Amino acid sequence: MISRKTLLLAVVFVLVLGSLPLAAQDDQINMTMWVRSIPFQTQAMVDEWNANNDSQIELTVIPSGEFVTKMGAAIAAGEPPDIASIDLIYTPAFAAAGQLVDITDYVKALPYAETLTPAHMELGMYEGRNYAVPTGVDGSFIVYNIDLFEQAGLDPDNPPSTWDEMLEAMRAIDALGDDIYGYWFSMNCAGCNAFTFLPFIWASGGDVLSNDYSEATITSDPIVRDALAFYNTIWEEGLVPEGASIDNGSNFVSAFGAGNIGMSGTGNFAIAGYTNDFPDLNFGVFHIPGQEGGAASFGGGDVIAIASGSEHVEEAWRFIEWTMSDEAQIEIYAANGQIPVRLELVDNPYFEGDERQLTAASALAVGHTPYTTVYNDLFNDPNGPWLEMLQVAILDGDIDGALELGQERFTQIMGG
Amino acid sequence: MTAPVNLAQTERSQQEIRRLRRRALLALRYLILIVLALLFLFPIAWSFVNSIKLPAEALAVPPTYLPTEISLQNYEELTTYGKIGIAQHVYNSTVVALITVAGSIVLSTLGGYGFARFNFPGKNVLFIMVLSTLMIPFQSILIPLFVMIVQVDLHDTLFGLALVYITFQLPFGIFLMRNSFLAVPHEIEESALLDGCGSLSILYRLMLRLVLPGIVTVAIYAFINSWNEFLAALIFMSDQDKFTLPVFLTTIRYGIWGDVNWGALQAGVIVSIIPSLAIFLALQRYYMDGLMGGAVKN
Amino acid sequence: MQLTLFNLSWEQRRKLTGLLFVMPTVAFVTIFFIIPLLMTIFMSFHDWPLFGERAFAGLENYQELSKDRQYLKSLDFTFRYTALVTPPIFILGFILASLVRHNIRYIGIFRTIFFLPVVIGLGVSSLLWVWMLDDRIGVFNKILLDLNLVPKAQLFLGRPNTAMNVIILSVVWKTVGFTMILLLAGLQAIPDELYESAEVDGAGYFRKLIYITLPLMRRFIALALILSVIGSVLSFDQFYIMTRGGPRNSTISIVFWIFNNSFTYFKMGYGAAMSIVLLGILVALTGLQLYVLRERE
Repeated sequence: MISRKTLLLAVVFVLVLGSLPLAAQDDQINMTMWVRSIPFQTQAMVDEWNANNDSQIELTVIPSGEFVTKMGAAIAAGEPPDIASIDLIYTPAFAAAGQLVDITDYVKALPYAETLTPAHMELGMYEGRNYAVPTGVDGSFIVYNIDLFEQAGLDPDNPPSTWDEMLEAMRAIDALGDDIYGYWFSMNCAGCNAFTFLPFIWASGGDVLSNDYSEATITSDPIVRDALAFYNTIWEEGLVPEGASIDNGSNFVSAFGAGNIGMSGTGNFAIAGYTNDFPDLNFGVFHIPGQEGGAASFGGGDVIAIASGSEHVEEAWRFIEWTMSDEAQIEIYAANGQIPVRLELVDNPYFEGDERQLTAASALAVGHTPYTTVYNDLFNDPNGPWLEMLQVAILDGDIDGALELGQERFTQIMGG
Repeated sequence: MTAPVNLAQTERSQQEIRRLRRRALLALRYLILIVLALLFLFPIAWSFVNSIKLPAEALAVPPTYLPTEISLQNYEELTTYGKIGIAQHVYNSTVVALITVAGSIVLSTLGGYGFARFNFPGKNVLFIMVLSTLMIPFQSILIPLFVMIVQVDLHDTLFGLALVYITFQLPFGIFLMRNSFLAVPHEIEESALLDGCGSLSILYRLMLRLVLPGIVTVAIYAFINSWNEFLAALIFMSDQDKFTLPVFLTTIRYGIWGDVNWGALQAGVIVSIIPSLAIFLALQRYYMDGLMGGAVKN
Repeated sequence: MQLTLFNLSWEQRRKLTGLLFVMPTVAFVTIFFIIPLLMTIFMSFHDWPLFGERAFAGLENYQELSKDRQYLKSLDFTFRYTALVTPPIFILGFILASLVRHNIRYIGIFRTIFFLPVVIGLGVSSLLWVWMLDDRIGVFNKILLDLNLVPKAQLFLGRPNTAMNVIILSVVWKTVGFTMILLLAGLQAIPDELYESAEVDGAGYFRKLIYITLPLMRRFIALALILSVIGSVLSFDQFYIMTRGGPRNSTISIVFWIFNNSFTYFKMGYGAAMSIVLLGILVALTGLQLYVLRERE
C-alpha cells in the first residue's frame, strides 16, 4: 500500500520536474535560428554550416502567419533565437523595439556592402544603424501560361503591359473552356496580395501610404480606387475560379501550376517550384504593369539578424557573413534557382540563358518596399485593414465603403 | 341482450387502440431518437472513417464515402509529423493534465475540508473570493497572466500552463469538495478527534474514503478541461516542442504554405478525442453528478 | 509547529488548522486571479507593448476604444452571435431533454450519445467541422451535390452570413448536450402527479408545457441560458480555427480581438482596456444570473 503511494508520489514528482525548464550545459556553441516557412534555401545553408563547423545551428521553421506573434512572445519571454531570418518588412518594428543587435560595424567591413540588395538594406536600418542584411530576395511579378496564351490567339512574346491588355488576355483565355480561367489571386491571403496587388498601384504612380510613410492615402489617391475596380472586374466577370475568394494562400503558388490558369501574381520563390513540381508547365514571366504601362515589383524576402540577448553574437555573425559569401550565394542560392542577395552575382553560370530568372531578378530594379513599423498590423495580419478592404471592394463590389474603411483603419493603426 | 357484449367489445377495442397508439408513439420516439443519434455521431464517425483511409484517398476531391482500403498510414504519418511527431504532444497534454488533476485534487480536498469543517476569521470572505473566480473567466485576465508567467520564467513550460489550469479548476473543485465534506456526518470525525487524531490524519485516514466520489468528479473535470483547453495553451507556449495536442493539431492545418494534410489531421482529431471520451464513458456517473452538483445546486 | 501550537487553546488551534487547510487554495487564487485582475486594471492605463518601454497613458486606451472600428464591430458581432446561437441551443436542448426524459429502455445510450460532443474540445471540434465544411473535400458539399440540392459546391465559410450559420451549427452540435442535461435535471424534478392531475383536467401538451413544465423549471432554464450566453460572449476557438476571423473580418469575437491586439499587435495595455470592458459585461451577466436564480428561494 505504502509503496504504491510512494510510487505515485514519485511519478507526480518526476512529471513536475520534467515539466520545468532545464538549463543546457554544453561547451560547444549551439545556436538557435528561426525562419518563417518559405522555401528559401535556409535548411540547405544550415546543414552545410553544421557539417563544416564546430558551432551548430538548430533551425526552427515557424508558419509564416504566426512568425510575428511567436517571435514577439519569445522576445517578451527573454528566449529569442540567436539568429532570426525575418520577413524584411518586419525589421523596422523589431529594430525600433531594440530587439536586434546593432551590426553596423560588421556591415561596414564587408567588401560587397554596396551591392547587397538595396530594399533589404534600407529595411534593415533604423535611425542610421544597420540591424539586418539580406538573406532571401524575392520580387513579385506575373507568371503566364504560354500554351494557354497561344490557344487563345494571344502573342506569348508580347505579354500584356497595361491593365486593359491584361483584362483582354484574361477574357480570351477564360473563353477557352469552363475549367479554364484567366487569372488567379488568393483573396483570403493578406500577404499574398500586398506582394502582388500593391505593385499594380505603384506601377501607375500611386500608393496607399504617403512618401514618408506617415499617413494613409487610400481615399486621396485615385489610383487605389482604379486598381480595386480593376480587380473587382476580374472577380465580377468570373475570370478567376470561385475558390480563389477563400484561398488563404495555400493555393497561392500551386493554383497556377495546375495549368488551367492564364496568369497569376507570384514571386521568385515560386519559379523553382514550378519547374520542379510541374515539369509540363510552359510558362513565362512579365513585370506587374501599371494602368497605362510602366512596371513595379514588391521587394520582398527575408533579412537575417541577430536577436538582442544572444550570447553568441560573434559566431552568429560568422554564419551570417558566410551565407553572403560567393560560395554560398552561387553554389547554394543560384544553383537552387534562388536569386543571390548580392546584385553582382545575378550574372552567374546557373542563371545564364534563363530568361525567366533574369526577368525575375530584374524585377528587383523596380522593387519597392514600404518602410513602416506597423507593416504587419496594416498589411499582413489576416484580420488587418488591407485584406478586409480588398475583400469588401473586390468581392463585394463596395469600393467606396472599402476605401473609407481602409483609410480609417490605416489611420488609426498608424496613429497609435 | 347483445348490448353488454358490444360494450365490452368496444371497451376492449378502445383499450387496444390506446395500447396500439402508445406503442406507435413509443416507436416514433425511438425512431426520432435513432435519427438524431446518428446525426450526432456522424461527425465523429466520419472523422474516424477518413483517418483510416489511405492518405491519398483522404485528400481526394470529391471525397469518397467509404475507404477503398483500410490503412493506418495517417496515424503513422503523425508519429513523424512536424519536428517531433505526435507522441511528444500527447506526452505534453498528458503531463499538463496529470499535474492539473493532481493539483486540483490536493488543493480542492484540503480547501474543501477547511471550508466545510473549520471556523476561522475571514472564512466567508475567502470562500466568496475563491468562488468569484468562477464568475470572471480567465479569458479576461489573460494578458497579466501571460506577463506574470513570463516574469517567473514559467513561460513555455508545461508546469506553468498547469498552474493556470489548476487555478481555474479551483472554484468548482472547492465548491464540490466542500459539499462532499458537509454531507459526511459530524459524529464520524468527532470520535476520531476524541481519540486524539490530528486533523490531517483524520482527513487522510477517515474522510478521504468517504468523499472519494467527489474527488473522482474533480479529477475528471480537471482532466477533460485541461486536455481540451486551447486559448491559454496557444498563448503560453511558443516552443513548438511544448505544444499541447489541440494547438499541435492547428499546426497540421496551417502547415507550410497552408497545405492541409487532412488525413493526418483527422487521425490527430481521433487521437485527441479518445482519452476524454474513454474517461467520460467509464466514469459518466461522476461526471453527471458533478454537473448537477456543481451547476444546479448553488 | 507543535511547539508554537502548544500554548494555544483547542479552539484557537482549530481555527489555525482550518486556515492552513485553505491557505494553498487562497494563495493560488491570489496569485493567479486577484493579482492578475488588479494588474489588468493597472495595465489598461498604460501604453504597454509586449516588449520594449512602457509608459503611463491615462485614459488613452479607453478613448481609443470608441474610435476602434473593428472593436465596435467585434462587440456587435459577439452580441449578434450570442443572440443567434442561444435559441437553437436552448430549443434543441429542450427537445432532446424531453425525448430522453423517461427511463424507457436503452435511453441511457441516447443520453450518452447526445452528450458525447460536449467532452470533445471546442478547438478539436472546430477542426473537425472546418474540414467537413470545406468546398472541395468536405462531406457536406459531397452530400448536397450527390442529392442535387445545390448546383455547385458551396463556400460555406467564405460568405459572412453562411459562415455565421455553419459555425452556429457546429457549436450547437458541440454544446447542446450540456443544455440537455441541465434541462433534463429540471424536467425530472417535476413530480409526475402534477401532469396526471392536469391530464384529468383535460390539459393538452402545450397547456401542460406553459402552466407546469416551464414555470417549475425556471431556475434550470435560467441557468442553462446564462451559462450558454456567457460561453458565447467568451467564444474564441471556433472563430480562430474555422474562419480566422474572416471573411471580411466579420467573425472576430471580442476575445479574438483582445488576443490580436495583445499578442499580434503587441498592444497589451490596449488589450487590457478591452478586457476591462469585457469584464464589465461578464459581471453584469453574472449579476443577472444571481438575481434570476435567487428570486425563487
